[in-house]
Amino acid sequence: MGQKRRGNIRSPVSTPSDTHSSSEIPPDKNSSSTSSCHGYLQSGKHSICMVSDFFYPNMGGVESHIYQLSQCLIERGHKVVIVTHAYGERRGVRYLTNGLKVYYLPLQVMYNQSTATTCFHSLPLLRCVFVRERITVVHAHSSFSSMAHDALFHAKTMGLNTMFTDHSLFGFADLSSVLTNKLLTVSLCDTNHIVCVSYTSKENTVLRAALDPYIVSVIPNAVDPTDFTPDPGRRDDNKITIVVVSRLVYRKGIDLLGGIIPELCAKYPDLCFLIGGEGPKRLVLEEVREKYQLHERVRLLGALDHKDVRDVLVQGHIFLNTSLTEAFCMAIVEGASCGLQVVSTRVGGIPEVLPDELVTLCEPTVSSLCDGLEKVITRQREGKVPPPAAIHRQVQHLYTWRNVAERTEKVYDQACRQPVLPLPARLRRLRSHCGAVAGSIFSFVAVINFLFLLFLQWLYPSHLIDVAMDATGPGSHWGHGFGKEESKYTDAVRHDVADRRRFKCKK
Amino acid sequence: MVLKIFFPRCCNMADSGLLVGRWIPGQDSAVVLAVIHYPFIPGQVKKYLSELHSQTQVDLTILGSWSFSKDSQKDMDEFLKDLSTIFSHSRWLQLSREPGKKGFACEVVHKNGHAAGDEEHEIIFVHYDQRKVMLSQLHPVQENGADVKSSELRAVFHTVSQSEPLFLFDKYDDGPLKLTHWQSDGREASILVELIKQASVPVCMLLTLLVGYRTEQFQTVFSTSKATTHMEFMRKANIFVSFFVDTALGLLLISWLYRENRISYLANTLVPAADHVAKELQNLLEWLMGAPAGLKMNRALDEVLGKFFLYHIHLWISYIRLMSPFIEMILWYVGLSACLGLTFALSVLSDIVALLTFHIYCFYVYGARLYCLKIYGLSSLWRLFRGKKWNVLRQRVDSCSYDLDQLFLGTLLFTILLFLLPTTALYYLVFTLLRLVVVTFQGLIHLSVDFINSFPLFALGLRICRPYRLAEGVKFCVLHEEPGAPLHLLMECYRTETSSCSSRDSWLTLVKKLFVGELIYPWRQKSTKTD
Amino acid sequence: MAEQEEFTDINGNPIQFSCQDFSPFCREFTVSSSKLSLLRVLMFTCTVWLLAYTGFYLTQNTAVLSAAIMVTLLGMLLHIHFVKVDHETLLIVGSLGVQLSSAYASGRESTTFIEMSRIKDIVINEAIHMQRIIYYLCILLKDHTEPDGVSSVVPLFQSSKPRLNCLVQVYRSCQEIIGQTP
Repeated sequence: MGQKRRGNIRSPVSTPSDTHSSSEIPPDKNSSSTSSCHGYLQSGKHSICMVSDFFYPNMGGVESHIYQLSQCLIERGHKVVIVTHAYGERRGVRYLTNGLKVYYLPLQVMYNQSTATTCFHSLPLLRCVFVRERITVVHAHSSFSSMAHDALFHAKTMGLNTMFTDHSLFGFADLSSVLTNKLLTVSLCDTNHIVCVSYTSKENTVLRAALDPYIVSVIPNAVDPTDFTPDPGRRDDNKITIVVVSRLVYRKGIDLLGGIIPELCAKYPDLCFLIGGEGPKRLVLEEVREKYQLHERVRLLGALDHKDVRDVLVQGHIFLNTSLTEAFCMAIVEGASCGLQVVSTRVGGIPEVLPDELVTLCEPTVSSLCDGLEKVITRQREGKVPPPAAIHRQVQHLYTWRNVAERTEKVYDQACRQPVLPLPARLRRLRSHCGAVAGSIFSFVAVINFLFLLFLQWLYPSHLIDVAMDATGPGSHWGHGFGKEESKYTDAVRHDVADRRRFKCKK
Repeated sequence: MVLKIFFPRCCNMADSGLLVGRWIPGQDSAVVLAVIHYPFIPGQVKKYLSELHSQTQVDLTILGSWSFSKDSQKDMDEFLKDLSTIFSHSRWLQLSREPGKKGFACEVVHKNGHAAGDEEHEIIFVHYDQRKVMLSQLHPVQENGADVKSSELRAVFHTVSQSEPLFLFDKYDDGPLKLTHWQSDGREASILVELIKQASVPVCMLLTLLVGYRTEQFQTVFSTSKATTHMEFMRKANIFVSFFVDTALGLLLISWLYRENRISYLANTLVPAADHVAKELQNLLEWLMGAPAGLKMNRALDEVLGKFFLYHIHLWISYIRLMSPFIEMILWYVGLSACLGLTFALSVLSDIVALLTFHIYCFYVYGARLYCLKIYGLSSLWRLFRGKKWNVLRQRVDSCSYDLDQLFLGTLLFTILLFLLPTTALYYLVFTLLRLVVVTFQGLIHLSVDFINSFPLFALGLRICRPYRLAEGVKFCVLHEEPGAPLHLLMECYRTETSSCSSRDSWLTLVKKLFVGELIYPWRQKSTKTD
Repeated sequence: MAEQEEFTDINGNPIQFSCQDFSPFCREFTVSSSKLSLLRVLMFTCTVWLLAYTGFYLTQNTAVLSAAIMVTLLGMLLHIHFVKVDHETLLIVGSLGVQLSSAYASGRESTTFIEMSRIKDIVINEAIHMQRIIYYLCILLKDHTEPDGVSSVVPLFQSSKPRLNCLVQVYRSCQEIIGQTP
């Protein structure tokens, strides 16, 4: 059996399930295309299922993107359900703040928190979720997540509208990217709409997946400016502190950082490094620290909770980002929002993120980064930098989740107006779009998937699946005394509550 | 409020009288323990109860009255009212039963005299079998006193079991009071068992003096203090029974062994068998020194290892020859030890096997050490290859820049070790297999010893003869419903099968050990085998 | 008071649900699943015997046939004794406790009694079960160390698995009784 769930169904719930299942036919039909979308709720609200391998308790950009976007969509009256794989003891169905329902499905994790895929084995569970939650739009996140691709595939087989958000950049040269790009092509060729987080990312995705650029929108990520406020009193102005907050992995350019630290420390005796994050490359930094005897000046903080990030950021003068590839860098926005000088590599979508006066861009080499940092350090010494509060004011309104949610909602409306291809058209599309070999193989897979779906519909007919109580959306049962038991689960995401309250005040 | 009355089934048909029992503190429930029949002198009843209180620490009181009569209902009512004024109480129960009816009628009178309104009290009767509750040992309350307050059923069971002295008299005895309770249905034979238990204490002390070994077990069995908890009692009884079975089996073995000159026959087969094993080993070594299974080994190392082991076998054979005249005598004396129990004999057998296969053990240890050393050297040289080194202080792999000389020497050593590895590995493999055979045999012996020692024979016997003494919980069923009458529930003790599961995940560690070349022993092996 | 309505379990097989009111604070719910179907027994026996006959044909050994008969008999016995649950009952007595019992087809009964002082609440929960997501009713047990904590969850009607509409009925009447006795 699965896990215990937090909320329970209280008596005041008006006659459940019976009324729903009689009046609404769950969108488990392959034939009709757009009807299911309008059939769900005439009010123009959607029933959205976010699918990704990456979600809390895992931490990162994709995770917080999904969470924040879902919260804002719930606030706008949509019904949102999140599907991810089980994280250790966290399996089954959980509820987060404001009745955000999360399914932690027991699927086998293969590598790097990504599930193993066979194209078929996740269909029974995902179908069950789609039917019982009466989903109209399936929104998959991150091209690294095989579960997201699976969900897209199954949703198309079941005739649901699909959306995809790409969070990362990819190369074209080596074997692994050739293969991933092929898979992405197959996965996205009949997806209704695609969202990218920056123009660079859009360009990259369109090229990789051979897409029509018109169905690709750009919606940037956002940060919560209320959470990242400057606090100059926390700095030690006798020395200059450089803050780095990122996962310590190869992609984030930690090897570059390992080269920068001894060079700059030798030059400037009053320079300190404050490094937050955890990862396999931590060893590199530790060795550098030991080799050059920098224990007092380089502090490694280890893994940080999201709520602690701000406290680390405000202790520094300069925020350094050494990423080698990045679609949209939330970290530099957070750094700038805390009033720090930002130095970053000029890769991927980073140049789009902040206006030029707020960020110093360098090439991803040790010497270029050192030059950039030196320039900023001299400016800092001479006091030529704008005060933190000014920087904060400037960044404050650049990226908000509310804006992101509004734009995403428009994309949903647009996606729902588009037809979902029936099976024959889908097969033609695959064959014409993805090349003869891969197209034929995946057409075959699609047919098998369709037959598997028919088999499942015979084995567990849709009318036997109990329709779930809506915790969010127009028919929401998420009352006042209802969320009390949630406190335990909202620790990781508490910062969001303040955000919500602020929105309510504004209204 | 709901008022619960736990009522013993044996008092269902009792004559009218007073209800003796206890109000469970903090809960709205009362346990009826016995009925005191008319006629009685109130003063005597009070005195009796206070005596019991000092004896058992259970505050027994008169709960109310019980009437089960055919005639003069009216007079009785008046009389019962009067009674309630005699005994001090806060609530007074008036239970009455008419002969034809199944249900009881109940009235609750408060201290100020008037009958309580119906809307205030709903009443549940829970009928229990006093004898079974008494003996079921379902009251392990001594350890955690805090639980008594929270759990109502615990408190009920506790009350019943604590007020044992109350049940020493009954209505057939000549005493000032006539009581009805479970003993009135016929005495329980377990009283006899209790007597035997008490008599057994000096016997146990005697036995402890006689038998010196297995001290740990016997300390628990023969500790002169009485078993306080149910668990402890069960453990004691199980150990005791298994000890007797063990000794009996050992004596059987002796009677078989010392008849028809079986000892000398055994000795005569043992020596040639050991000889034969040594011969076979010699052949095996010669085979290994050639080209075993068509493998081409490093000739020089192969020769050295082979000769070393052959010399060992020569030593061994002469040792056996030296021993052979004495073996029969040794066996004869060792056989006597079986009178201490079959497990003892089996353990001795295991030791003899270990002694007779000492050469295999030696070979195994040499092989394993050599192999272990090579693997260790290879792994550290492999790190040197990659420009890494093991940091002992921080328990992690650091990167390190080596000199050219160091790298050259390291590479040289690495190649030598790598090319010599197959030869050592083969010797290690063969001797480990031999060792595993011996270890498995010893493990089996240990397993059977454990089985004999820990088999819960006593519990099994109880399960067959008196299942309710191993009760696990309670079970309620609704007795009969009559409109208007209070609800009647029947409480029974029941037990379910216990299932045990054993995990065997330590096999993986064993395989890992074998691969790395760590030594394995039967006693560690044993812990992996017996759950 | 006994009520009869059409209920099915999560696989669409009809089940009987009845609720008996003994008194305002004592109620018994019984969910009985469908009886052992003759067709399935026949199919099981036929497959085993067909396999046995093939084995016999290949090996010409009569022991195969007798083994097959033993296997069928033993399998059926074990099935009705350990697997096939005939009905499950939930007896809830206000201020005393909740008793769960399931009766197997062979008549064997297994019972658990949970005292009211250990019960925190009775709720409907969702779980992932055999490639499906289902609703089930469960009892939350109090955690003595932590006032608001739940130490463990006891699922109800585990083998008959009724659908949500049936669970909601049981849930409502349980809450009535639990609500009476704080």
